[in-house]
Amino acid sequence: MSSEFVPIEGKSRGYWFAVAVVAAVLLFGFICFGVSYVEGHQLFGGSNVIPWGMPIVLAIYFIGLSAGSLILSSLTYVFGKVEYKPIARMAVFLAIVLIFGAMISIAVDLGRPEKFWRLFMFFYLNNMTSMFAINGILYGGYFVISILYFGVILAQQQMLTRIMGIIAVCWAVLVHMGTGAIFGFVEAREAWFSPIKPLEFLSAALTSGMALLIVVTIATFKLSGRDIKKEIISSLARMLVVFIIILFVLIAVDKLTHLYAPARGAALYMLAGPYSWIFWFLQIGLVVVIPLVILCNPRWRNSIGAIVLASLSVVIGVFFERYYLVIPCAAYPMAFYPGKVEGVYGAVGYFPLSIAEFGLSIGIFAMLALMFILGLRYLDTLPPVEAKEPATASLEGPAAASEQTSVA
Amino acid sequence: MARWGMVIDLDKCTGCQACTIACKEENNVPFGSPYENIRRLAPYWNKVIAASEGEYPSLNIEMIPMPCMHCDNPPCVQVCPAKATYLREDGIVVQNFRRCIGCKYCIAACPYGVRNHNYKEQEEHPYNRPDSPPDRSVIGPWPFPHRTHGVVEKCTFCFHRIDEGIKEGKRIGIDVVPACVEACPTEARVFGDLKDPNSHVSRLLATRGSFVLREKMGTRPKVHYLHK
Repeated sequence: MSSEFVPIEGKSRGYWFAVAVVAAVLLFGFICFGVSYVEGHQLFGGSNVIPWGMPIVLAIYFIGLSAGSLILSSLTYVFGKVEYKPIARMAVFLAIVLIFGAMISIAVDLGRPEKFWRLFMFFYLNNMTSMFAINGILYGGYFVISILYFGVILAQQQMLTRIMGIIAVCWAVLVHMGTGAIFGFVEAREAWFSPIKPLEFLSAALTSGMALLIVVTIATFKLSGRDIKKEIISSLARMLVVFIIILFVLIAVDKLTHLYAPARGAALYMLAGPYSWIFWFLQIGLVVVIPLVILCNPRWRNSIGAIVLASLSVVIGVFFERYYLVIPCAAYPMAFYPGKVEGVYGAVGYFPLSIAEFGLSIGIFAMLALMFILGLRYLDTLPPVEAKEPATASLEGPAAASEQTSVA
Repeated sequence: MARWGMVIDLDKCTGCQACTIACKEENNVPFGSPYENIRRLAPYWNKVIAASEGEYPSLNIEMIPMPCMHCDNPPCVQVCPAKATYLREDGIVVQNFRRCIGCKYCIAACPYGVRNHNYKEQEEHPYNRPDSPPDRSVIGPWPFPHRTHGVVEKCTFCFHRIDEGIKEGKRIGIDVVPACVEACPTEARVFGDLKDPNSHVSRLLATRGSFVLREKMGTRPKVHYLHK
């Protein structure tokens, strides 16, 4: 591997404007965090019915994107597909940024964020039967492994890259299955309890990671004046179709299993309850229907614009899949006693989205965008510009993409 | 070692909520505004739920007081990553606020909804009323340790009373009982040692039909209910 990668120039006005905008949003998010830390989680939408709010939605969303994009980088570094090489480094870097964001999201969701270190006292202060403690090992290890992986890629150690790539991919699969297990192994919440959750999470990770990689690649390459080969994008889009179909099958099997059992209240709630429009329109519609219609249409499937649209739809839709799982599914009331439980204890939970929580969420998005665009400037992640004129790098792309997902 | 348990006679329970109030007073559990109650932000270590069955002419409503069930196989202990909640030797599930990181996984895992996140700073005043500062000379310090916001808390079977009572050599279950048992006007709640065959709880369980909530979950609760 010769030195085929360069950082972006990052001297244009557009680049610094993007940095300033995301830094301002990050500052707002930080203020929101400070206020919520002092005032307590009463400022957030969560309650004793819905224990987890937006930070956990973001955490599992980012872990999915991260694991997906790391697994895709293995196409080059493990399976030796040279045609994906121009985007492979960026994929690994994106994975590191996203897992960092996921860990930050979990930390800010803790009631006592300053005790975050307790999650990493493996086998000593941790109760290892907890899925959280096991995931502490998985996330911490994943962070370290992906940094080492990126390090050997930058150092251009071919053999080491291959070994680290295999370890990183296996670990990424574990990370995502472990995240699914956090939800799938909780029997008390009927809408979560499902042995298929780890696999569903894994396929959602691959789908959303692939879609995000397509969006970020095109945005970065277009805005920094680079040319991207159309074949790369359309072959990624073909893979995306396969992932979407696998994800759809797993979602369908999960819901059908719940519908078949005599206790089908939770499944009916998920499919026809008061929040089921999120499931049908934002999850199934954006993740499955719209992308499949675009990507299976012979007229559209080779146009870059249509592929970006489909990928963006998947990225937003998977966010709502996470949202639906964490918030409306947790709101399903528990059957403490046979019969109808009256009052607030038998009512479907209520989740107002507050300013503090919203600001915190977009702050985390902004932090990741900032890390990403600064990383592009200081790390050798992109192939050099082939065009003759000097690059007018106005890199608003990843920031804009992240902003759109955060608004959605 | 004893194995503390509780028997609640649903036939005697009138749903007066005296247990809920007594628990709040004893353990200085914050009170919440009506809005916080609707959203279930306000912590309740003990709650009384009403379960209805049927429509008006043939309607049955049961009041079920629900303290922590102190399961023998507690899902909250299994999922706590920080060893903050654990099963004591005498069967009480307690929460260590200093270890709790506030991840709220136990709230998600508890099938009885008895765990509460402390959403705001604990007030020094009883009843959260700023106009009535606590008179320390009369009530002494709170028996319960001061806690910060952001940790999870739950019913402890008033273990501070039990521990104090054992130290003083009193009879637990007769002289010393948890605050909710003490406050119950109809004596629907009985507290005692499930291991001791002569205790009141053992005799009640042996002579009357009883059940536990959500038995299917396999949690083996130590709070038993007598049929209405």
